[in-house]
Amino acid sequence: MSNNAVSLYLDPQIRDWVLFPITLVMILVGILRHYVVILLQSPPKKLPRAAIREQRALVRSQILRTTSTNSPIPESFYKSISQNLSQAFEAGTYLKDGPPKADAPSTPPNPLSDPNAMDGMMAGMKTQMVMMVPQMIIMGWINFFFQGFVLIKLPFPLTLGFKSMLQRGIETPDMDVRWVSSLSWYFLNFFGLNGLYRLILGGDNAADASRDMASPFAAGVPQAPGQAQDYSKLLKAEKDNLELAEGLYSWVGKDVEQRVLRRYGKLPPS
Amino acid sequence: MSAPNPDAAAHRIYMLNVQHNSALMTVKFLSACFAGATAGILGLQNWLGFALFLVSTLLTSVFIYAVNCKGRPAKYIPGGLWELVNPGQDNMFSFVLTWTLFFGIVHVYD
Repeated sequence: MSNNAVSLYLDPQIRDWVLFPITLVMILVGILRHYVVILLQSPPKKLPRAAIREQRALVRSQILRTTSTNSPIPESFYKSISQNLSQAFEAGTYLKDGPPKADAPSTPPNPLSDPNAMDGMMAGMKTQMVMMVPQMIIMGWINFFFQGFVLIKLPFPLTLGFKSMLQRGIETPDMDVRWVSSLSWYFLNFFGLNGLYRLILGGDNAADASRDMASPFAAGVPQAPGQAQDYSKLLKAEKDNLELAEGLYSWVGKDVEQRVLRRYGKLPPS
Repeated sequence: MSAPNPDAAAHRIYMLNVQHNSALMTVKFLSACFAGATAGILGLQNWLGFALFLVSTLLTSVFIYAVNCKGRPAKYIPGGLWELVNPGQDNMFSFVLTWTLFFGIVHVYD
């Protein structure tokens, strides 16, 4: 068994009863996960009109600001919209609860007690649980049923360090690392099936394992602060940004007559 | 799809078209799978298999460049030539998976 030139002969029944079933089960579980996540997602909470209005006001001013250096709208329009928004933000007309009263202390709602923010965090955590649990179950299933025999030979070499992980349950210190057990087939499938999920379930599928590992906790967090933030402070900051952008404003069509004439040679190039 | 690309910053890119063009990922994935199957069936081992993957990636890129992008990848793919050629981590693992699968079926089992 330690001679590399001699190849092991494996029973074809291993192929039929282990290789294909593990792959099939993993594909089906991935598809199941995707649909479970879709079913578990609660529909987004409908916000009252005033709340939506304050969010939209913020978005409006951001849209205006982003293209301010190359803006498609001419100067008079830009300046009038910009100043209108600045005044409105300063006076607080877009705020959900009306303009702030002078004596009321403005405290942002506590994220733990605000029901809107809780929903966002729970949705993120639910997705995490649905991802983790099937992986654990499948690993346990494989370790229980498919342990102690060689499954397949890898076509590429690996270092000895992988031996303990990939040949778990097979007590042969001399065997080539390329003969591996079922758990390594699980790992190969785990990484390799993401492309297949992208093909079957579309780009934004919930079965993608690489996405879990890249951002395990970052995904759940950003949804909560959006609802818990204090809009009066946000709108004040936005007003400052708006004024800054107004200073940087420049119309795309400025002096366009000169540019056209120069291009067609009617005016000497400057 | 973020700011480093100056065209995106000037909002000259139409997002729906970009999403449609990402169907090229499907082409790359399928070519990686078939390359894996080929490598497995041929019984290529070690570096020969990876060389086949490299050759198939380059060949696929040449075809996409010539037929789909008509010689101008920057017009159709954000990220230009490198993103056209780069198979991505997903396709690499898919290649290894199909390579191992077919190698096992054809050469290891009787």
